[in-house]
Amino acid sequence: MKLLPTRKSKQSDAEPEANGEDSGMSARELAVHHSTHKAQDVAGWVDSRTNATGIYTAMLSRHVPKGTNWFYTLGSATMFIFAMQAITGVFLAMYYVPSITQAYGSITHLTNEVFMGEFVRGLHKWGASLMIILIFLHMGRTFFFGAYKYPRELNWIIGVVLLILTTVMGLTGYLLPFDQRSLWATVVANNITGTGPIVGPYLADFLRAGPEVGATTLSRFYSLHMMVVPGLIAALIGAHLFLVVKLGTTAPPWVRAGRPKGSRPSETVEAGVPATDGAGVTAEEALAPAEVDSPAAVADDAAEAGTDGEEVSS
Amino acid sequence: MNSREKEEYLREYEILKKKGKPFFPYAIMKDSVMMLIVAAVMIVMSIVMGAEQGPKADPTTTTYVPRPEWYFFYLFELLRVIKPPELTPIATIGIPTICMVLLLLLPFYDRGAERIPWKRPIASVTGILVMIAMAYLTYMGAVAGSPTEIEKPTASQYEAGKLITAESGCLACHSIGENGAHGGLGPDLTHIGAKLPRQAIKRSVAVGPGIMPSFDGLGEENLNQVADYLASLD
Repeated sequence: MKLLPTRKSKQSDAEPEANGEDSGMSARELAVHHSTHKAQDVAGWVDSRTNATGIYTAMLSRHVPKGTNWFYTLGSATMFIFAMQAITGVFLAMYYVPSITQAYGSITHLTNEVFMGEFVRGLHKWGASLMIILIFLHMGRTFFFGAYKYPRELNWIIGVVLLILTTVMGLTGYLLPFDQRSLWATVVANNITGTGPIVGPYLADFLRAGPEVGATTLSRFYSLHMMVVPGLIAALIGAHLFLVVKLGTTAPPWVRAGRPKGSRPSETVEAGVPATDGAGVTAEEALAPAEVDSPAAVADDAAEAGTDGEEVSS
Repeated sequence: MNSREKEEYLREYEILKKKGKPFFPYAIMKDSVMMLIVAAVMIVMSIVMGAEQGPKADPTTTTYVPRPEWYFFYLFELLRVIKPPELTPIATIGIPTICMVLLLLLPFYDRGAERIPWKRPIASVTGILVMIAMAYLTYMGAVAGSPTEIEKPTASQYEAGKLITAESGCLACHSIGENGAHGGLGPDLTHIGAKLPRQAIKRSVAVGPGIMPSFDGLGEENLNQVADYLASLD
């Protein structure tokens, strides 16, 4: 079915092409006209296979609830930092050599000789600190606004795992420059891991990959820092975002849907105008269920709603 | 949260969502401004503070005392607060693991319907206390200073001895001025020169009385410089 509009546009395309001169179009206009249709064809081709525009619309034209404020930018800011870390990390990887004999020298070369090398390394280094700060702020907002409660429990869990993985990135990245700080901080971190009950010593052995922190440790940390953990983080950010789009961001807890106040009728009118969105729901209609909040009605509703799983219809 | 409260929340949320604004352009606008601010902060930090490189890793050194990244200070400080060695696993693995499990399971034991921070005092107070504890431990970890750093000013002829003293890890047990292990294993060395003659100091460093290890391995010349420096502290 999706292919139909594409075919139609191709047919209509052919017409002006054949009678180009008659319709008074210049060659250039025709070319532009033609390429626009071609672009539409390409978009249609991609869309029929991916539903890209559907996803795009679902993400962008969804409503954020009333009262959403600057605190709600912390999550996207954290994601932005992750993207920056990925990009600067790729550039650093172009020069970095993960071997104990060459790692330090490659960082010296990168810092002192490569164009903008120190700048990119600085971005990556300070970006890590900023990412930790932002992820904690984002978590603080979620905690104090009670946003981890029903129906967003799973998103909280994914968020905590993302926090842990981010600190793992901080830890594994620390060894890579292979200066004194890197080495000894890693030795300490490894010893700390080793004191853990039951799995501690095994985990420490796995991370160290040998009798002491050395060549294999470095390549192990490198692959964890470069591939395993960033991959997990990217996948979990995807899941996190999917749930945000599906369930919506919370409104600040003190913002209530409210009832039209008799003393200030103008407020109802103002609120009603933007509320008339595509679905054609007026504020009065939307507010109607909230007004019949008598215990009996609620009990009926609850009985009809049935199990928990069916309630998440948004 | 019972099913009635869940129903009520979803209904209320639907209304708030209808009263809200579309994600594009309103939320996107705010997000973009925030991202620009974050990018600006990153760029300024990178330009102002750069990315320094320490001395090359050397597994044979015994005197280097590492410092973690600042965001691990609170964990590091926890280790210093909990002193008895048999409790070390509790500080290193126990407390962080318990905290992480509590954090992960939060939505499953905090099941109340209330979301307003000041109407759920237990959660809010706990959150604030945890934040204060982490901030305090981070601060303590930050001001503790490196155990290889002696800030007490010295006459220039004793600088060499001061450096050797610092790098030999004396401050892991002793304190000199503001630096070092206050109330640690060894006595305060701030005024050691007034209490002990130079020869006694040198002998102590070389022999290592009591539980103190011998620093004879430093060599005669280094020992003399350390003794000169310590004797100058009065």
